[in-house]
Amino acid sequence: MRPIHLLVMGLLLMLVTDASAGDRLSVYTVNYPLAYFAERIGGDQVEVVFTAPPDVDPAYWVPDQKTITAYQQADVILLNGANYAKWVGKVSLPRGKMVDTSRKFKDRYIYATDVTTHSHGAEGAHAHEALAFTTWLDLGLAKLQAIATYKAMARKRPVSEMQFKQNFKALAEELENLHEGIKTIVAKDPDRPLLGSHPVYDYLSAGYGMNLISVHWEPNEAPSFSQMNELKQVLEGHKAATMLWEGEPVPESTEQLKSVGAASITFDPCGNRPEYGDFMTVMSRNVEQLKLAYQ
Amino acid sequence: MIESLYLAWQYIRFNKIKTVILVASITLIAVLPLALEILLSESERQLLDRAESTPLLVGAKGSSLDLAMNSLYFDDEVPEPISMAAVERIHDTDLALPIPLYVRFQARGLPIVGTTFDYFDFRNLKIAQGHSLTMLGDCVLGAKAAARLGVGPGDNLVSSPENLFDLAGVYPLKMKVVGVLAPNHSADDLAVFVDIKTAWVIQGLGHGHEDITRTRDSTVVLKRSEGNVVANAKLFHYTEITEENLDGFHFHGDTSIYPVTAVITVPHDEKSGTLLRGRYLESEDAQQIILPAEVIDGLLQNIFLIRNVLDAVIALVGLATVLVILLVFALSLRLRQREIQIIFKLGCRKAMIGRMLLAEILIVLLVSGVLCSAVLGVVDVNAEELVRRLFVG
Repeated sequence: MRPIHLLVMGLLLMLVTDASAGDRLSVYTVNYPLAYFAERIGGDQVEVVFTAPPDVDPAYWVPDQKTITAYQQADVILLNGANYAKWVGKVSLPRGKMVDTSRKFKDRYIYATDVTTHSHGAEGAHAHEALAFTTWLDLGLAKLQAIATYKAMARKRPVSEMQFKQNFKALAEELENLHEGIKTIVAKDPDRPLLGSHPVYDYLSAGYGMNLISVHWEPNEAPSFSQMNELKQVLEGHKAATMLWEGEPVPESTEQLKSVGAASITFDPCGNRPEYGDFMTVMSRNVEQLKLAYQ
Repeated sequence: MIESLYLAWQYIRFNKIKTVILVASITLIAVLPLALEILLSESERQLLDRAESTPLLVGAKGSSLDLAMNSLYFDDEVPEPISMAAVERIHDTDLALPIPLYVRFQARGLPIVGTTFDYFDFRNLKIAQGHSLTMLGDCVLGAKAAARLGVGPGDNLVSSPENLFDLAGVYPLKMKVVGVLAPNHSADDLAVFVDIKTAWVIQGLGHGHEDITRTRDSTVVLKRSEGNVVANAKLFHYTEITEENLDGFHFHGDTSIYPVTAVITVPHDEKSGTLLRGRYLESEDAQQIILPAEVIDGLLQNIFLIRNVLDAVIALVGLATVLVILLVFALSLRLRQREIQIIFKLGCRKAMIGRMLLAEILIVLLVSGVLCSAVLGVVDVNAEELVRRLFVG
């Protein structure tokens, strides 16, 4: 083959590559787990955009007008459902592009019981923030969300369906392995009492039949006197030896927990993009930490 | 023949007023039915265009005409509402894209159209000024609506209360105008578009107030019990949605039971459309699915019946006018009897006199024909705009 032929072929290949890159499916998400699923399933066919800054909880973050306009232009908008990212309900987004990834298991949503309702006028009592939303912590549900992600992307880009399917299968297998791993760990002693530092482990607890009670502690704050008293009251009827934290707790918290006989482990919900690794590495680390709680 | 035309022309020049009246009568009688025909055809085209570009409409069972007129042309007659569950029902079939519409409220006499962002893509509506709907409380105006109200991006527009005497009713909502659409030459030009959630806020289904479970103002709390706080009438409800109070806005209960007046249904393909229509055939189904083109076509058939009557009236008036014109010519001949005899005595043959009279009639008809063509040409060129002015407003 002559050098000129190679040059022409090279140029053609570049053109084709450029065209496909420019024509990538634009997928916007409201949290990191969905962004990860879309990246894994879509590969280089998809441009995944997750806009929340790294130092915020995407569940409570509100994008500015420019970002909302960018969401409006997306091909697919992946929502977590279960009232996650309440800003979605207060902005105008194209419904035809929105995919509620937890819609298929709406009947498995968990409602918080310790919510104060309010009443006025003729409407009667109504409550806000009654739904738990970290659905993906039950990796069985996370797999269903990955299926919804795959289907939405395949519908928008049928020509890439085979590739998406292949990538999805690999992702689903990894999620399934982790799911089975947690099931095996918890099955050893499902009644073992555990503590959650924050009420974000509802789906983890319900999905794997864990005996977990949550308090309202922040990892970056030492517990106050009243919080410690509240914990002692909880421990009277729930002899937990381990507390699950969303992030690394401050040493004061660890020490105070030790004083009441409870160890600390980090089980990161991974709602935002982690500083190191990805969703799978964080979840694998979580599984390893959970093993310590069930030793 | 030239001599006849010359003499006829001289006669017409001499009898200007009589000729002008004749020409005007003939022109009017020809222009009226033909111009009406052009305008009706154009209005039919415009009505059908809008209907044909809307594949299917789902709404409550009842008058399909009310449903179509309210959803396509934002007519005042509000059909029985259905719930957002109807939108979910279509969405779940995976056969079509559902676009909800809630056309019930008005702002300064113009319809407020509550919908989703998909509507703008579906109708190919482009923003000419400002930006599209972003936050709860935003509104985008059609081109004519903006011109009529004299507002633009950055201004505010207040929704009109449904009933002035309902003092305990829902407060009007002060909406923020964020954009103006480019002219679309349809009912969209005279509408105020809001997100469907904003329409629900206008209705009072969603509202904003301070968090009474955390408030320090005890005077707004009527009763506080375990798990519930009851507010009294002093609780202030926001009448405007701003970035500062957006968090305080919320919707009561399950939004799937919230009202919509119709759902524009855009099937993915023809087969999906047929399958979807089949799912609404159950007699006990409280919803109906209609083909807007069929409904508007039926309406036009009725208009055609009226047009036939109109055509008959015009034909009779035309016949009467023709008879009057004939009478004018006959009387004119009688009046010109002496003149004709003088021409005859001067040596002009009877055939020549006949040709001269015929030339006079031909000239009158020719001038009327030219005028008629000119008027019809103007009507034809401006038919689109005329129909919009006459029927759209």
